[in-house]
Amino acid sequence: MVVIMKERASEPQIQAVIAQLMDMGYDVHRSTGANRIVLGAVGGGHGDPQIVEVQDGVQEVHRISVPYKLASRTFRPENTVIAIDDVRIGGDEVIVMAGPCSAESEEQVEASAAAVKRAGAKVLRGGAFKPRSSPYSFQGLGEPGLRMLRAAADRHGLKLITEVMEISQIELVAKYAHVLQVGARNMQNYSLLRELGKARAPVMIKRGISATIEEWLMSAEYVLAGGNTQVMLCERGIRTFETYTRNTFDISAIPVVQQLSHLPVIADPSHGTGRRDKVAPMARAAVAAGADGLIIEVHCDPDHAKSDGAQSMFPAQFERLMAELRIIAPAIGRSLCVEPVARRGWNR
Amino acid sequence: MDGLIGFRQRIDEIDEQLVALLNARAEQAQAIGRIKHASGEAVYQPAREAEVLAHVRQVNQGPLDDAAMTRLFERIIDEARRLERLADGSGR
Repeated sequence: MVVIMKERASEPQIQAVIAQLMDMGYDVHRSTGANRIVLGAVGGGHGDPQIVEVQDGVQEVHRISVPYKLASRTFRPENTVIAIDDVRIGGDEVIVMAGPCSAESEEQVEASAAAVKRAGAKVLRGGAFKPRSSPYSFQGLGEPGLRMLRAAADRHGLKLITEVMEISQIELVAKYAHVLQVGARNMQNYSLLRELGKARAPVMIKRGISATIEEWLMSAEYVLAGGNTQVMLCERGIRTFETYTRNTFDISAIPVVQQLSHLPVIADPSHGTGRRDKVAPMARAAVAAGADGLIIEVHCDPDHAKSDGAQSMFPAQFERLMAELRIIAPAIGRSLCVEPVARRGWNR
Repeated sequence: MDGLIGFRQRIDEIDEQLVALLNARAEQAQAIGRIKHASGEAVYQPAREAEVLAHVRQVNQGPLDDAAMTRLFERIIDEARRLERLADGSGR
């Protein structure tokens, strides 16, 4: 870390900081500038920079190393690729996950799965356990919902991603899902993350609604530290002063995280905007920004959806979007749905 | 450009002397480090560091000014402090 002393810091104050840094195990480089002293703490020390920051005479402290280790690019320079059979997340292909917010009925799940498969999605999304802002809102179908989702995914050759809300659900959800999703509200549920570190299924961690990128990467660190290396991150919008959209979709987080971390980054323009008409532009932007995948809410009948209807796309809108994304992805050296879908043979 | 060659050769020669002198100085620091570890004295002794810097400034005749000399010796002292810390043989 680098410690910048105040302009009028006294010699005893400076000496106290040097002594403290040495106690922490650092070697100290003292540099006397024209007006102030800068102390560089180098070597294998460790300690809380905030303890240094509150010392008398200290102006500011800059941390140089990052607190997340396993999630950082320094630890693993090459991209992590998560392979679920033939679906490779984090490779050249942009993987699209789509489906309804919640599983509501056999018919609704089947119609939605068929629609997203037809458009070229590789993974079916859908919730059976729903963390809703209100306890009076639809809470999900539970295990019957999981069964419906997995059956529909299997029928259409899709993988399944679904949310696990608490530790007690991990085993059950892992029985049905290929990818376990940690929702934004649970991003800092460290006991859940620690348990997911023991799971052997891929985990997708959504960014908390007010989480900094560093906090988000620290959540990934919890899962990685537990021994589960199959972690992907999902940008889903953050809370800002803007109220027009449900959240502010932080597209810049995509290249930032890809620089800091080797983990795949998925973008969720549905929650990112909360408005159906804004999903396509943000999805296009996310692919252009380099997202490794998208997760999009598509409902066979959004106007009657039991949750998130306003942000769910109609199947026809989704198909149009996928056609656009197939043009955008190659522009940055990526591909999207290379497998020819019956009606899109022109893709090859 | 030929005029530079002589000066550059002289700089190389002086650097060789500096390296030898810095290492000779470092050996003293290591010896001091061993004594400090044996007696339990603190490695970091700010009063002595201030003395060293004051002495350096006192004997300085330029063209480097005292502030420049102080900055250079701060780095030398940083490294000496590190050697003293390592002189207990633990590698830490």
